[in-house]
Amino acid sequence: MQYDSRPKYLNLFKIKLPVTGVISIFHRLTGILLFAFIPVSLYFLQLSVKDAASFQQLSVLMLSPLSRFFILLMLWSLVHHLITGLRFLLIDMEFFLSRQSSRASAWGVVIVEALVMVTVIAGLFL
Amino acid sequence: MSMVALEGLRPWILQRLTAVYLLLYVFYALAYWLFFDTLTYVHWLAWLADDVNQILLSLFYLSMLIHAWVGIRDVLLDYIKPFLIKLLLLFGVALFLIGSGFWLLKILMMVQV
Repeated sequence: MQYDSRPKYLNLFKIKLPVTGVISIFHRLTGILLFAFIPVSLYFLQLSVKDAASFQQLSVLMLSPLSRFFILLMLWSLVHHLITGLRFLLIDMEFFLSRQSSRASAWGVVIVEALVMVTVIAGLFL
Repeated sequence: MSMVALEGLRPWILQRLTAVYLLLYVFYALAYWLFFDTLTYVHWLAWLADDVNQILLSLFYLSMLIHAWVGIRDVLLDYIKPFLIKLLLLFGVALFLIGSGFWLLKILMMVQV
C-alpha cells in the first residue's frame, strides 16, 4: 500500500487554494448569502409596491451607509454567483476542462467580476 | 438508466435549469431598467402589474426557491453530520422557502394600478 506523502491540513488558513478553488468556495459562500437575502428582497419588494409613501421611505432607507453596505454585499454576491455559475454551466457543457483553460477561465471570472463591480459602484455612488 | 440513478440526477438537473432561467431573467430585467435614469413609483408599479412581468417574476422566485433548496441542501449535507440536527435544519430551510413563496404571492396581490 502506498501512502500519500502530501501534507494534510485541517487548518483552513494553511490551505492554499488555486484560483479555481477560491472562486468555487466563494460561489458557495455567496449562495448562502443570497439565500439569507431572499426575505430581505421580499421586504424591499413589499415596501416598493405598498404605496407611494412606502416607496419613498424605501428610497430614503437605501441611502443610509449601513443599507448601502448591505446592498453592495448583496449585489457583489449576485454578480459573483452569476458569473461563477455561468462558468460552471460551461464546464458542464465540457468547456474549460484542461488545467490551463480551467485556470484561465477562473482568472477571466475574476477580471469580469472586477469590471462589473467597478461599474456597479460607479453607477450607484458616483 | 435505472430509477436509482435518476434520483441523484434530478436535483442536479433542477439546479442547472433554474440557474439558466435566473440568469436569463436577470438580463431581461437589467435590459429593461438600465434604460431609465430614475425609478418612479408609478412606472415601477405599472411594470409589476403587467401580466407577463408578474408571471416572469413569479417564475423567477419559484426558480430561486428551487435553486436555493438544492444549493442549501447540498451545503447542509456536506457540513452537518448529526442526523437529527441535519433533518431539523433541512426542515427549517424548506419551511423558510415555502413561506417566502407565499409572501411573494401576497405582495403580488397587493399590486394594483
